[in-house]
Amino acid sequence: MKVSFWNLFKLFLKIGAILLGGGYVIIPIMQSELVEKRKWLTEQELCDYYCVSQCLPGIIAINISILVGYKTMKLLGVFASLLGIAFSPFVVILIVANLLNQILHIPFIDGVFWGVNLSVIVLIYLALREMWPKSIVDKFSFFWFFVILILSILKVSPIILIISSIALGIVLYFAKRGENNA
Amino acid sequence: MPNFVFLFLEFVKVGLFTFGGGYASLPFLYEMIDKYHWFTSNDLTQMIAISGITPGPIGLNMATFAGFKTMGFCGALIASFALILPMIILTTFVFRFYLKFCESKIIKSILYVLRPTSCALILAVGLRLFYELVLNNDLTFKNINYIGLILISFLFILTFKLKRDPIIYMGIAALIGIFVKFC
Repeated sequence: MKVSFWNLFKLFLKIGAILLGGGYVIIPIMQSELVEKRKWLTEQELCDYYCVSQCLPGIIAINISILVGYKTMKLLGVFASLLGIAFSPFVVILIVANLLNQILHIPFIDGVFWGVNLSVIVLIYLALREMWPKSIVDKFSFFWFFVILILSILKVSPIILIISSIALGIVLYFAKRGENNA
Repeated sequence: MPNFVFLFLEFVKVGLFTFGGGYASLPFLYEMIDKYHWFTSNDLTQMIAISGITPGPIGLNMATFAGFKTMGFCGALIASFALILPMIILTTFVFRFYLKFCESKIIKSILYVLRPTSCALILAVGLRLFYELVLNNDLTFKNINYIGLILISFLFILTFKLKRDPIIYMGIAALIGIFVKFC
């Protein structure tokens, strides 16, 4: 099938509407739509895109969409894929947010959110459990985890903590390179 | 400066400094509560829950929602656009040499430090929520929300038995919530 702005937009509109949950879910959908049905990408390319998206800041699903859009139609493609993927989530959130204002005072809904708000703590735990094995890989990463946890509880701004982490990563890289050269 | 400029800048920051999935943007959203009072902690907890079960990436949904809470429709547009903007610039820039980029040792070294940082920031958000919802903002343990504590413990036990699909936990919690309010 030929790639056009409209086709790209339609495809990502579909992906945005059926995407539930995190960035991992997008891979099987793209595998069937982009690699198998339309052949706009090879399997290897999709695999690489997923890998790069994890190395870049931001949202994984959005970064993959940008890469696919750029590969197929350059900046116009980026525009089409982003417009497509963001459209349905945007509309749904607007509808829900509007509805919420009108129903929150009903006692029944109050009960629902009493429970749901508490369950968010468990959702955060689940997200953490998934990240943990990839993140805490040795003694140093465990130590660093605690340092950041304590600083964060002491209300140090997350942006400062992230920038310091990036800086430390760069320092570690040069320290290691220095060791190898010596 | 007008409010929308701050909203835009805050979400550019989220897009630029979030590593490791939608939940990694939570520390920034909680910081906005303390800094600007655009929405309450309770609002944000609802946003997290709803963003998890509506279509689309959680991070984008939360930004849209937070923008809407702050400034209505325009706020939702500004926040979503601001969130995506740094990704457009960085990702298209990296496109030409993405394979080299991903395999470079310096990026690996940065991610090695950033990953535990993301974990710690997310855990800190979880602890904050626990402090607010279960301990009722009281560190002396005199105001514990016992029913809430039981509900959370129950959901935690379930995580060892069930899949990680958020809707299951929210469904169970909602049912128990209705039951608790009417008993």
